[in-house]
Amino acid sequence: MISVHQLSRSFNGARVVEELSFEIPEGKLFTLLGPNGAGKTTTVRMLMGLISPTSGTAKVAGFDLGKDGKTKSALRSACGLLTEAPGFYERMSAWENLLFFGRLYGIAESALAGRVEHYLRFMELWDRRNGSVGTFSKGMKQKLAIIRAIFHEPKVIFMDEPTAGLDPEASLAIREMILRLKGEGRTIVVCTHNLGEAERLADIVGILKRRLLVFDSLRHLQTGAGASVPVEIEVVEPLGDYRAMMFELPFVSRVEQSGAIFQIEVMGGQENIPRLVRTLAERGVKIMAVRPRMQSLENIYLKCVRWGENGVQDQ
Amino acid sequence: MRILLLFLLKEARDVRTNKQVWPVYLLLPPIALALPIFFVTVAPWLVSDKMEKGDAAMQYLARLAQEAEEFAGMPLDEAMSRLFLRNLVAFFLIMPLGISSVSAAFSIVGEKQQRTLEPILATPITDAQFMLGKMLASSVPAVVVTWATALLTTIVVDFISLNKYRAALLPDRFWAMGVVVLGPLLAVGAVLATMRVSARMTDPQAANQFAGLVILPAFLVSLAIFGKVLTLSFAALCIACLLMLSLDLFLFRLNLRKFQREEILTRWK
Repeated sequence: MISVHQLSRSFNGARVVEELSFEIPEGKLFTLLGPNGAGKTTTVRMLMGLISPTSGTAKVAGFDLGKDGKTKSALRSACGLLTEAPGFYERMSAWENLLFFGRLYGIAESALAGRVEHYLRFMELWDRRNGSVGTFSKGMKQKLAIIRAIFHEPKVIFMDEPTAGLDPEASLAIREMILRLKGEGRTIVVCTHNLGEAERLADIVGILKRRLLVFDSLRHLQTGAGASVPVEIEVVEPLGDYRAMMFELPFVSRVEQSGAIFQIEVMGGQENIPRLVRTLAERGVKIMAVRPRMQSLENIYLKCVRWGENGVQDQ
Repeated sequence: MRILLLFLLKEARDVRTNKQVWPVYLLLPPIALALPIFFVTVAPWLVSDKMEKGDAAMQYLARLAQEAEEFAGMPLDEAMSRLFLRNLVAFFLIMPLGISSVSAAFSIVGEKQQRTLEPILATPITDAQFMLGKMLASSVPAVVVTWATALLTTIVVDFISLNKYRAALLPDRFWAMGVVVLGPLLAVGAVLATMRVSARMTDPQAANQFAGLVILPAFLVSLAIFGKVLTLSFAALCIACLLMLSLDLFLFRLNLRKFQREEILTRWK
């Protein structure tokens, strides 16, 4: 549904986004993580056809970026955008705002009122439909902005910080809404700083810091396809300097011992865990248990971003 | 067309609810209405009084009125009334210019303040539709208000002049050309210039000051220089209309080329 190849964007000679390449299959939820200024919003704007890439190509919902005006219009029809700030005409009611944007999206007049009513009820805003948006809470505005992003039935939805500044209850409601949309088979791209939110929502995770540092399924990342795999090894009796023995292996980056239990970080992927176990067994270590540990997304994110800063994994 | 109407209706609603744009709507039409009525009412007294006192300015105006072929054979006070009215068409040019440029500045600043630009630009509308919609939404209400005021002025002035001179003084062809053609062209030009400046500025609030500090003074200076020839030569007025039309077309093409969603999204911080 989204296919990106070597996409870059510069502003005044400075590269903001550099050589992004990834593919998002239909119906998947992709969370794009990254610090402030990492290029998340620029990436979304390029994929929506709002700004042109400096180089590279992409195909979104079947439409190539950077083509003629008609293709760009068709691309925007096929996509929905939840902007970081839910901008609405504050003196107009929720109903009037949605009618205005619905007409800009070209929703047929015969279907528009019914569709607006459906989504206002769906988002539990029906009772406030005639209230001016200026009187709405941030959570209510965000719900309204989600309606605006989806009520023309787009195939792809881009959401920039969907729960930023919301209280926990409103955030939960928005997350549930996003999961419902995913359940309907839509392809969703969520840009966020909120790692807990990304962990709850994502099928696929990308970590962006000008370049795409990581792009993988959440499950794969957490179980060790990332930079390092945490594993816990319990031995029968710690007789020698097992820490030193482990550090002799080039793929072991960290070892912490607590009695008979060793917390180890293995670099280079899961396949190095059996190598570690085999090496230890060959050297006479009596292993009682090997327990791979799931990494938190926060852990993965911080490592990647720090490595990105240091240029260790800038590739 | 549907999109243009949509912007127009939204903007008309904004005018009704945005108290910040009310001053230009409330101030200019009463002035434009009152001045012609005042002059047509007091002209006979004013002319005779000033002429008796040997007022140089009045004698100069009287000479202009007497020399104009169109006013030949008319009593001096009627000819002077007609000349005054013709000069006062300037207010019906300032009105669409002032209202439309202020509306355009507020309209664009309003979009920025309410952060509605990106959601609008994310819809399938084209750059031309967006620009044309904004242009018409800001200029049409100004033109409608101007025409309504001009119609009311014509009715009241003619009611007075029919009693006084047994002749309807309005509309004369200068008045009609000014109100019906040049006024709307000025309104469109002012909107396009305001939009162009808004697009180039990183602080949209500054665009609001552009109307008051650049467009209106520029118009008044032009009027001071060319006012006499425009009120006495219909051909000159027609040429002014053609020049304004050319300027509008140039500004529209320039805006269309430059005023793109990418510029708005990346420059307007």
